[in-house]
Amino acid sequence: MNTPTMKRSPLLLLTTASVCLFMIGPIIVSVMAGLVNNYSRGLSSGLTLRWVWQVWDVYGSTVGASLGLAVACVVCTLVIGVPCAYGLARSRSRAARIFEELLLLPVAIPGLATALALILIYGNFTSLRQSFGFILIGHVIFTLPFMVRTVSAAFQRQDLLAIEEAVRTLGANFTQRFLGVLVPAVLPAIVAGMLMVFTLSIGEFNLTWMLHTPLTRTLPVGLADSYASMRIEVGSAYTLIFLVVIMPALWALQALATLIQKHYGN
Amino acid sequence: MSILFKRIAQASLLALGLSAASVQAETAICYNCPTEWADWGTQLRAIKDKTGITIPADNKNSGQSLAQLVAEKANPVADITYLGISFAAQAKKEGVVAAYKPQHWDDIPADLKDPDGYWFTVHSGTMGFMVNVDALDGKPIPRSWADLLKPEYKGLVGYLDPSSAFVGYVAAMAANQAHGGTVENVQPGLDYLAKLQANEPIVPKQTSYARLLSGEIGILLDYDFNAYRAKYKDHANVEFVIPEEGTIAVPYVMSLVANGPNAENGRKALDFVMSDEGQAIWAGAFLRPVRADAMPKDIEAKFLPAADYARVQAIDYGRMAEVQRDFSDRYLKTVR
Amino acid sequence: MTQVASTTHIRMMCMLPAAIFFAACWLLPVAALVALPVAKGWETYFLVLTSSRYLQSLLNTLWLSLATTLVTVILGAAVGIYLARHRFRGRQVLLSLLTAPLAFPGVIIGFFVILIGGRQGGFASLTHSMGLGRITFGYGMLGLFLAYLYFSLPRAIASYTAAAESMDPQLEEAAHVLGATRWQITRDAWWPQLLPTTVACGAIVFATAMGAFGTAFTLSSQFEVLPITIYNEFTNYANFAVAASLSIALGLVTWGVLFLARLLSADANPAQ
Repeated sequence: MNTPTMKRSPLLLLTTASVCLFMIGPIIVSVMAGLVNNYSRGLSSGLTLRWVWQVWDVYGSTVGASLGLAVACVVCTLVIGVPCAYGLARSRSRAARIFEELLLLPVAIPGLATALALILIYGNFTSLRQSFGFILIGHVIFTLPFMVRTVSAAFQRQDLLAIEEAVRTLGANFTQRFLGVLVPAVLPAIVAGMLMVFTLSIGEFNLTWMLHTPLTRTLPVGLADSYASMRIEVGSAYTLIFLVVIMPALWALQALATLIQKHYGN
Repeated sequence: MSILFKRIAQASLLALGLSAASVQAETAICYNCPTEWADWGTQLRAIKDKTGITIPADNKNSGQSLAQLVAEKANPVADITYLGISFAAQAKKEGVVAAYKPQHWDDIPADLKDPDGYWFTVHSGTMGFMVNVDALDGKPIPRSWADLLKPEYKGLVGYLDPSSAFVGYVAAMAANQAHGGTVENVQPGLDYLAKLQANEPIVPKQTSYARLLSGEIGILLDYDFNAYRAKYKDHANVEFVIPEEGTIAVPYVMSLVANGPNAENGRKALDFVMSDEGQAIWAGAFLRPVRADAMPKDIEAKFLPAADYARVQAIDYGRMAEVQRDFSDRYLKTVR
Repeated sequence: MTQVASTTHIRMMCMLPAAIFFAACWLLPVAALVALPVAKGWETYFLVLTSSRYLQSLLNTLWLSLATTLVTVILGAAVGIYLARHRFRGRQVLLSLLTAPLAFPGVIIGFFVILIGGRQGGFASLTHSMGLGRITFGYGMLGLFLAYLYFSLPRAIASYTAAAESMDPQLEEAAHVLGATRWQITRDAWWPQLLPTTVACGAIVFATAMGAFGTAFTLSSQFEVLPITIYNEFTNYANFAVAASLSIALGLVTWGVLFLARLLSADANPAQ
């Protein structure tokens, strides 16, 4: 008898290959569309960078805006989310459980509704309304549950409870416990949460579409505009710029996650 | 090479210029000023050159603009807005626009402006078929509303959503009038659109000029000015057809937003749009400027012959505005 | 201050910033939103049930989301198991390429579908050159479903690859040695081990599919989903009351399914 034939299942291989083609194929077609002179004539019309430059001229500022927002969003969710995750992980009260449920609601309600709600209540504060801060609030509301749940699950590990108890009886105060023992212990989960928040914020459209003003546009909003009203080559070039900016950032974060994983164990 | 360096320098400046939004340049915000529609791109550039006011382009359609204005009523973000005439009447009711009589107010015919100045026409266009001849793959160009129902045009027809885009509503009302309906009786229009569904039309929500040029949409129910621009400015193989059974022409209007943050800049922009130069830009883009004397003869010559335009029927714009909401409801219920 | 008393106090302080932010920036605004439909009468809250058009839209969305979740979970599991067991050069790059679409806004995915399945798309050009005319699938139900699949698969692949790595191969070996068929091994060895991941992943895929707006907006398909209906009401002369009512309905249904999923997974893991 050989080793399990399941390992050499042709069905799994075929499925994986098809899915890979399905997922990666369109990306390649889109990149190509952004680099040719004329999409309907295809590669025969020659390669060019003019669409890329055209997009950069008109929409270049949105790239910086989206990146800045994503980073700010990660920082905010770290600062308010990690302590909150700890509190929820250690609480047994009904109130804590209800709060945990409520935190999930922004994911269930459509972004359009949350955005409308924000405008109705806070739209009156002009400097807030017309700044990127308004969009940041929307992003943090939407991504906070992801950070909190990921890190909270990690805080609940049995061995961590034991370690924390031990360090507490040795006389360490809370800050020392939190920063010296707890945070390093759940670092893999924190980095996973950061990656998730960054990814969600970069691509966020539903909320941002209503919250933005013509002066505070993000990349997804600009992308929607360009695809809707401009040539397909322009939209594709915009997608190309998006990929070129996002992929390195994602890879860097993933590499960081793997590094932390190795360093700090499971 | 120097161009490359210039590009890199520009790019770095742009990337660092996150705070560009708060630079102290004169700005005004316009809702519904898309670069690819009615040549707003040129108009916005001219406004910047002549008055120094920067207005970023905005791709909302009339419905989105109105909704956003109402949501932001307590603290508006926009200073001016461009709307289809029926949406403007609703905007006045909702109290989101302010009265302002721009330059050359008296040149505007009485039925094309609100008597108090809450909105006024800047230009108008005629509804018809904008046809990408290449995308037809050899099929004959449709000449009538009835032609569009033929199975050979399956998958080729498109029109904007009547419930949120003014141009979509106009297309529906044009079809309605052509089949014997009136503003009071919109059933023929609804029936026609229901029949058209058999040809699997594409119904986008925002301006789809580019989709027609690329051939993604073969026949778009759109205005003459978009078709002429495609033909004469972008040199595409595009024809405009005024259907045999008839059609309508409609005005587009602009308004000053009530309590806008940069109201003074908004007023200056509205004045520019009504000035000789502003109106000439509309004329150059094949729209009919509201100040009729702004239309040069050579541009006029590029329009379809007057015999075709004789098929354009009149319609009461006021009533059209009043029945729009009801029509949208019925459209969403029965056709889609 | 004893250590015991400060523990509760500390827990509260930890949760306070998040609680304040959440209350101010979500609870308060959404409470105002929930009160909106009242202006048009109490029956506005039940529009989703009483109006056939809205009910149809809700059912469309439910159907589409369930179908997407089912297919995503199956395909995601297959790919996850395969990738967990085979190490090859470029595996890490492939994995990051497969999970990159998580960052894509729905608009891009809608236009991928148009790029491939639209009238000028690759598929139509192919069939055109074969003499079959331009076959367009992008604007129909199939196009929408494929787009939903596209943005759901990365999440499933990421979850299952991680989960499959901790699957016990000995269980499978034993079953195989005892003569179990492939189907039996899938049912008895894989399924129980992957169940927690399936429930968690399925829930989030479902929730995302229910609330997805950008994709359907771009495709302007005839198959109307509830987020688009909400948008239509919003732009149809600023009909906020109805838009709010439908949003609440959508939120309740989605949250209900998420809640159920968490109950099920709590049953499976009583140690939590």
